[in-house]
Amino acid sequence: MIVAETAPEQSRARYPDADGFAERDGVRVFWELYGDGDPTVFLLPTWSIVHSRHWKAQIPYLARHFRVLTFDGRGNGKSDRPSGTSVYLETEFAADSLAVMEATGTERAVVAGLSCGALWGTLLAADHPERVLGAVFIGPAVPLAPPHPERSVYSAYEHLDTDQGWAKYNHYYWLEHQREFLEFFFGRCFTEPHSTKHIEDCVEWGLEIDPETLIATHSALALCGLESFRDACARVRCPVLVLHGDEDAIRPHAQGAALANVTGGELVTLEGCGHFPQARHPVKVNLLIRDFVESLERRTVWQP
Amino acid sequence: MYGEGRPTLLLLPTWSIIHSRHWKMQIPYFARHGQVLLFDGRGNGRSDRPENGYDEREFAADALAVMDATGTERAVLVSLSMGAQRALLLAAEEPERVDGAVFICPSVALGKPLAARTIIARWDEELESDEGWAKYNRHYWLRDYRGFLEYFFSQMFTEPHSTKPIEDCIGWALETTPETLIATQHAETLDADATLALSDRVRCPVLVIVGTEDSITGPGRGIALAEATGGELVVLEGSGHGPHVRDPVRVNLLLREFVESLP
Repeated sequence: MIVAETAPEQSRARYPDADGFAERDGVRVFWELYGDGDPTVFLLPTWSIVHSRHWKAQIPYLARHFRVLTFDGRGNGKSDRPSGTSVYLETEFAADSLAVMEATGTERAVVAGLSCGALWGTLLAADHPERVLGAVFIGPAVPLAPPHPERSVYSAYEHLDTDQGWAKYNHYYWLEHQREFLEFFFGRCFTEPHSTKHIEDCVEWGLEIDPETLIATHSALALCGLESFRDACARVRCPVLVLHGDEDAIRPHAQGAALANVTGGELVTLEGCGHFPQARHPVKVNLLIRDFVESLERRTVWQP
Repeated sequence: MYGEGRPTLLLLPTWSIIHSRHWKMQIPYFARHGQVLLFDGRGNGRSDRPENGYDEREFAADALAVMDATGTERAVLVSLSMGAQRALLLAAEEPERVDGAVFICPSVALGKPLAARTIIARWDEELESDEGWAKYNRHYWLRDYRGFLEYFFSQMFTEPHSTKPIEDCIGWALETTPETLIATQHAETLDADATLALSDRVRCPVLVIVGTEDSITGPGRGIALAEATGGELVVLEGSGHGPHVRDPVRVNLLLREFVESLP
């Protein structure tokens, strides 16, 4: 097991009221808990190319209104970096999420997932309806609509004779040029002008995972099957809110629209937004999350 | 004019390379706590662009005219950079209308200019090079105005992640012309003796805010002004020449604390 060096952390607007590890099959994941409101908003990990600090613009706001739980996905942050591909399947992230709920005595929560976080968020909502009050999916990376055409040109798994553009999304390239890949990738995540700070943050977090582990997490995500995922979507019964930027250069808006459609959820199109609206447009996203969470309470009252 | 009640903050114009929108991070905050008055300096924004008439005394007189036009008897003056000279004239010569004065990164003839900027003394000459501060040159402005603006504002905001403030300022600067800026350079400013004499006459409370990474005036001029006026000095670690834009929360809280401390 590889233990990555952690960069000295920036100061935070708010520090956790409790933190700790949840352990499953010898793999430990690190969680943080903020505030003591009700209900719990559970901010799920996304692809382990970043860790839970990608929620930093949500935590201090939401923790003033709700109880906020988050954790570093396996492979990054203070969580373990087990080796192998199968340990990074979406089912593992879903199981880690449940383990963190157990460890923190969280019976029920509203879950929120960014990008790949929608995969395990959907699994939780589908398979544990009694524990998921509602689900928010932001820029969901789901196989319900075709990817951007420019992302289908190059193989991620084979040696390439170019490293232009999306050719950088390639395992061999990651082994040699991790930072360059991260700068490219997060440059595409933040298509909005004036995103230098966000890109810098994400590149730093992206350097906390070693390239071999990054490759393992990516290979596992690529195994996510369309049929089984569609089944999971069809089993979701809780209220769903999907936020998707119309300028998302990582995952097309059509994927978010399709997820809203199959889960019977509400779709909010974020105009001019890229793939990480929670970081780049936090006020907008925070208000939408808060409204959604508070609407669940009202629904509970009116639907005894 | 924004908000109502006391006190009134008069946010003075700075060099007419930009107009009053550079105060955009102060307006909404202080309009909740009192009244905010501001105007575009002659030469930019919606104000006229006379061919000449950019002496410091003209700007000070404009400020009084704006106070009169809005029925503003007294105000706390807040100035940035070149605005310091107008503010100093008002604070020294119109004490009954000035409750206090805040100088942010003041550009006054005290202390020393930054070594990298000494070439500006040859502003009127044709230079061999237009690298770095050699861009601060009338001939270059006429040749490549945008090139000058991009350089100047990159030096104004030395903090990382300043692309938006730089873009804003370039946009405002394009609302005026290099010819107008050249006219502002021909205007009469306050020399060291005049600055010291006026500083000595200031009776109102004074706050001076400087940034350690200020690449336009350097922190030295502000430190000297605080000493000359007997004012309070706050040195912002890591800040450039526009801390009110780049660190607005910090600067707003300092301003508010100063305003609330006034008798």
